[in-house]
Amino acid sequence: MSGKANKAFTKEEELLLQDFSRNVSTKSSALFYGNAFIVSAIPIWLFWRVHALEVSSSLAWFAMVTTASTWLLALAYRNTKFQLKHRVAVRREDAVAREMARKLADDKKMSRKEKDERILWKKNEVADYEATTYSIFYNNALFLTIVILSSFYILRSFTPTVNYIVSLTAASGLLALLSTGTK
Amino acid sequence: MVTKYAICLFAIATVAFAQGCTNPQVEATSFTSLDATVVTQIAYITEFTLKCDNPLPENYALYAEVEGKPLTAARVGENRYQVSWTEEPAKARSGTHDVLILDEEGWANLRRARRADPAAAVAPLIAIQLHHPGSYSGPWVNSEVLATALSILVAYTALRHKSKILA
Repeated sequence: MSGKANKAFTKEEELLLQDFSRNVSTKSSALFYGNAFIVSAIPIWLFWRVHALEVSSSLAWFAMVTTASTWLLALAYRNTKFQLKHRVAVRREDAVAREMARKLADDKKMSRKEKDERILWKKNEVADYEATTYSIFYNNALFLTIVILSSFYILRSFTPTVNYIVSLTAASGLLALLSTGTK
Repeated sequence: MVTKYAICLFAIATVAFAQGCTNPQVEATSFTSLDATVVTQIAYITEFTLKCDNPLPENYALYAEVEGKPLTAARVGENRYQVSWTEEPAKARSGTHDVLILDEEGWANLRRARRADPAAAVAPLIAIQLHHPGSYSGPWVNSEVLATALSILVAYTALRHKSKILA
C-alpha cells in the first residue's frame, strides 16, 4: 500500500489533484494578497478623515493592523474560494461542455480523450476564475460592512485608535474564522 | 375747584399726546440664523427706524410682542430700535413672524386688557413682518447611515448569492 502511494502521480492525476486542492496558483495568490491589502488599507482613510485619528502617531498601528488584516483576509478569500469552486464547477459544467464541444466539433484530428481533457481544463479554469472573483467580492462586502457597523455604532464611544484596531482585527478575524466553516 | 381739575386733566392729556407718535412710519431690516448646524439657538433680529410727524423725546420707549412673547425694543440710535429674540432650532418655525411694536401707553393698555382676557389684542403702533425662510440643520440622511445601509445591502446580496451557489 505504501509502495503504491509513493509511486509518482501521472500528469493527469497531478492536474486533478491540483484542481481539488486548497493550494492556489501564484497568480491567484497575488490577486488575493493584493486585494486584501487594498481593502485592509481603505479603512485608514475612514479613520483618518471621519473618525479624526491622528495619522503621525498611529503609523505603527496602521502597519501592524493592515498586515494582520491582509493576511486574515487572504486566508478568508482562499477558504471561500475552495468552498465555492466545486459548486461553481457543477453549475457551469453543462454550459462549458456544450460550448467547448461546439468549438472543437470542427477539429477532426483531435482525439476524443483530448477533447474531454480540454473540456475538463476549461471547466476548471471557468470555475477557478468565477470562484476567485466571487470570493473576493463576498469577503470585501462583508469586511467593509462589519468595519462600518462596528466603527460607527458598536465602538462609537471608544477612542479612534482602539476603534480602528478592534474594528479591523475583529472584521478580518471573523471572516477568516467563518470561512473555515464547512457551510 | 372744577376748573382746577379740568386744567389739570387738559395738561395731562396734552403731555400724553405730545409724547405719542403721530402718523408712524417705519423702515425695517431683519436677520435670522439660516445655518442651524453650528448654532444652538436661532436668532431673530429686526432693526427699524421710526418716523413720526412730531419729534420724539430722547427716552421714548418701545415694546414688542411676538407670538405672545413680551420683548423690549432696544434703542440703538436716534429713532432707531432693535428687537431680537432667540428660539430653539426645533421650535423655530419658518415663515413670517409678526412683530407688534407698542409704545408705553399701548403696552400698558395691552397688559390691562390681558388681565381681564388673556387672548385680548390691542392695535399696535406699528407691525413689522419678519420673514424666516427656515434654517438648515444638516442633511436628511447622515452619510454614515447611508454608508451603513448601502454596505448592508451589498453584503446581503453577497450572502444571498453565496447560499444560492452552495445550495
